[in-house]
Amino acid sequence: MSAALGWRASWTLARRDLVGRLRGLRLLFICLLLGVTTLATIGSLTAAITGELAAQGQTILGGDFEVSLSQRVATAEERTALARTGQVSETLRTRAMARAGDSAILTELKAVDRAYPLYGAVEGVRIDGLGPDEVVIDRALADRLQRGRGDRLRYGEAEFRIRGIMTAEPDRVGEGFTLGPVALVSLDGFARTGLLQPGALYTAKYRIRTAGDPAPVIDALKDRWADAGWSFKSRDGAAPGANRFFERMGQFLSLIGLAALVIAGIGVSNGVASYLAMKRNGIATLKVLGATSADIARIYLLQIGMVALAAVLLGLAIGALAPPLIVALAGDLLPVAPGFAIYPLPLAVSAAYGLLIALAFALPPLARARMLPAAAIFRAVVDRRFALDRRSLGLAAAATMAVLGLAIGTSRDPLFAAAVIGAVLGALLLLLVIGWAIRRIARAAPRPRRPLLRLAVANLHRPGAQTVGLVVALGLALTLFVTLAAIQTSLSAEISRTVPRRAPDLFVLDIPSDEGPRFARLVRAQAPAAELNIVPALRGTIVAYGDTRVADLETLPEGAWFLRGERGVTYSAALPEGSELTEGSWWPRNYAGTPLVSLDEEAAEVMGVGVGDTLTVSVLGREIPATIFSLRKINWDTLGFNYIMVFTPHTFRAAPHSLTATIQVADDRAGAVTRALLDAFPSASVIETGEVIGQVRTLLDQMAAAILIAATVTIFAGVAVLIGAIAASRQARSFDSVILKTLGATRGQILAAQTMEYGLLASLLAIVALALGLPAAWYVIVRIFDFGWAPDWPVVLATLAGGGLVTLGIGLLGSLPLISVRPAAALRSL
Amino acid sequence: MADIAIRARNVTLTLGTTEILKGIDLDIGQGESVAILGPSGSGKSSLMAILSGLERASAGDVAVAGVQLASLDEDALARARRGRIGIVLQSFHLLPTMTALENVAVPLELNGQAGDAFAAAARELEAVGLGHRLDHYPAQLSGGEQQRVAIARAVAPGPRILFADEPTGNLDGATGAKIIDLLFDRRRAAAATLVIITHDPELAARCDRIVEMRDGLLVADRRAAA
Repeated sequence: MSAALGWRASWTLARRDLVGRLRGLRLLFICLLLGVTTLATIGSLTAAITGELAAQGQTILGGDFEVSLSQRVATAEERTALARTGQVSETLRTRAMARAGDSAILTELKAVDRAYPLYGAVEGVRIDGLGPDEVVIDRALADRLQRGRGDRLRYGEAEFRIRGIMTAEPDRVGEGFTLGPVALVSLDGFARTGLLQPGALYTAKYRIRTAGDPAPVIDALKDRWADAGWSFKSRDGAAPGANRFFERMGQFLSLIGLAALVIAGIGVSNGVASYLAMKRNGIATLKVLGATSADIARIYLLQIGMVALAAVLLGLAIGALAPPLIVALAGDLLPVAPGFAIYPLPLAVSAAYGLLIALAFALPPLARARMLPAAAIFRAVVDRRFALDRRSLGLAAAATMAVLGLAIGTSRDPLFAAAVIGAVLGALLLLLVIGWAIRRIARAAPRPRRPLLRLAVANLHRPGAQTVGLVVALGLALTLFVTLAAIQTSLSAEISRTVPRRAPDLFVLDIPSDEGPRFARLVRAQAPAAELNIVPALRGTIVAYGDTRVADLETLPEGAWFLRGERGVTYSAALPEGSELTEGSWWPRNYAGTPLVSLDEEAAEVMGVGVGDTLTVSVLGREIPATIFSLRKINWDTLGFNYIMVFTPHTFRAAPHSLTATIQVADDRAGAVTRALLDAFPSASVIETGEVIGQVRTLLDQMAAAILIAATVTIFAGVAVLIGAIAASRQARSFDSVILKTLGATRGQILAAQTMEYGLLASLLAIVALALGLPAAWYVIVRIFDFGWAPDWPVVLATLAGGGLVTLGIGLLGSLPLISVRPAAALRSL
Repeated sequence: MADIAIRARNVTLTLGTTEILKGIDLDIGQGESVAILGPSGSGKSSLMAILSGLERASAGDVAVAGVQLASLDEDALARARRGRIGIVLQSFHLLPTMTALENVAVPLELNGQAGDAFAAAARELEAVGLGHRLDHYPAQLSGGEQQRVAIARAVAPGPRILFADEPTGNLDGATGAKIIDLLFDRRRAAAATLVIITHDPELAARCDRIVEMRDGLLVADRRAAA
């Protein structure tokens, strides 16, 4: 008995058989190309953005490292210490109202010294020698104030002339989220405004340019100035918020891309099955001539592998080249504009996904072709025995586990990745069951009397019908779209309708601390029915809780957002509105002992502290240890002042601070109240909630658009599967079409039968997408976000209708060649 | 002379650059049984396709059961076939997703006889000896049984003309003979004109008339020996 063919001989046969006849493997190629391109693009773009954020660290931060102080500037001694480490640039940043004529716009006002910027440059206008009466504004502010170069505007008590309009601020990303457009003045100019009142909320930043590694310098400064309330940032973590956002977003989009690749896997399986069906005679002949099952497997695995590899390589090439194009199209939406570079790791991961998916989905049809005896291959469609051997099953399972392991292992947040993958797999399984059920029901249902409808229903369950694969592929894509549409429209409704109903109309910041009563009188004079809430406001950083110092933590505990940077701090003699005590009690009104604090119960749980433990905050450079006296449950829904830390009045009453207020006022009085307040308190800032809501909505819309684009790939993958299914059934449908024509059916009647079939399928898919997508969206909105359930039904249904029409349209397009087949010509070849 | 069921005048068919039929003149009377005999490639199946409305002639006139076929488009040809023309093909060509009963009912339904289509179909299947296989799919029937279903389907609408293209080509001798007997029997019951395409002289001899073809031309036309 002769030995097996061996890989070399198998390769010879594989190549010979494949030359010029790639038609059958086109679907495999297209599906893999789609999936790998998506993953490679997302991975490369994420790496490009986060890499650029890291590489541009100096420019983004504005220095090699930064020391920031809240509500005070550095002392002479501190300045001397910093100057010894390198070149120093000082900036002050605060929220302030820019006024021009009757317009008052909330802006970020930044005061810079002559050394600014240490890295990068302000674009659009030169800021050298910026005079004390000059201001540089950004395009957004110029548009909103309708002012340009040479015009005048006011900040606080000072008037400025607009020197020019800047098109880019080099350290913008490093400054974090801003409530309004940005304006630059000199430090002298800032002093003219009178905005630096005692207790005013502002940040002083000292950026240092130093040679060598800043880490040891920072460590030395931390040791020397441990109690000074300094916050440090280095160029290696210049924009932690942006970094986190893009990493998370990239991770989420990658998981959607992976779902698209899994759908594409169905196309791979169908494509390979169709291809091997075409090769049935060839395989049988090889077996007749003495080829073993292993030889067959090797030959066709090599062919499939060749095509898969070509698809993966092309996908990687497109994915590597796409990011610069996306960056160019995205424009200002992205915080940085990375140049072209190759990022090997995401490309390698995408390639691994593509090859593993190809293996997992190609093995079952290959195993069937390999194992079936030659004679049975001719009846493979009608007599569909499941003939997967253990070895193939094991390999396919191993490839699948490898995909899951890769997805979870390469994720920044493995738990999150596992949850999303679990949800997608659950949906796939459910769709599989539904697809199988649809087939069974179609088979068992009473046979329609009308022949064309009968044919349409029969095509759903005929041997070889692709119904299950289509329900899974298109069903998942449509379900995703319905879910996204319902979530996005519900969120939008919540922000547009519910939030404005509950939220105060105006937030006012930086009211001088001794002007509370005058403030209240002014507001009431303009709007007697206005609802006012005035609270003291300081900024502080939690530096220690219990026995733990925050600076000693390598990573922050999960959910400890409040340990990052400064938080609002307040004091109150009485329990604040919107809070309820859950543990401990409230202090007496005239308490004057050691500092006590009432803490948000969720924050306490995250930190593992309780009543009686110590919480230390740094305020205005002083560390204040306080005993936790009570825990509160905060009702965030009121959208009023919700401070996680409320101290006894005695702790901070004497410290420099300001007041903040919320005002609920009728729409027609808001403008008058704002003008009156700014006239009386030029250093105050007035935030219109509506504007902030608009910004948030814009941000959400942009995120939703990015997710939608990624989700669109799932539709493309589903469409590829549909096209593959149409191609796979073309011969059978041609046969039916010719017979029907022979029996007297017109082209219109044949098209009607196809319309009925795809219409049925589209309708079933729509029902499935609604049944799965809406509960998923409800869960996210109601249970996770704790919002009201208010999807925009016309949008959701339009999304569904669009998907259904695409299915029907492609199905009919694929059917058009059938109706033009000439019976006689076809009968010759059938 | 008996009514003319089929009249062809100067019928030609050219596919690409190949002349399949080179000017055929043929009259077939109502009720006649005619065998079109010829070797493979002589154009006999193509002639049948034109006469049955499955193909449009490149030139010439064709009138079948009183309908001029030459000027009709594809849909009109399909409508013309309904109820007038029954076709039995060599490879049976049953719809694989329909039962025997449903296959036979389809032409009746297309012809607007949906009301009693299934009852009529059951009767026809009974007549061809398949009354016990009504709910079987083609894949569950033997070749001979499939051809019997095809005959029942062709005869069910009561066509005036029956065409059969090599009806026993895919069957063994014994089965084929039974099928031919059945075909002639059902044709007689329907009082239909029968046109059989064959290369088998013995089968041809069972018809009233034999027309011979060679290279796209009619070369002989004679009455079969009694």
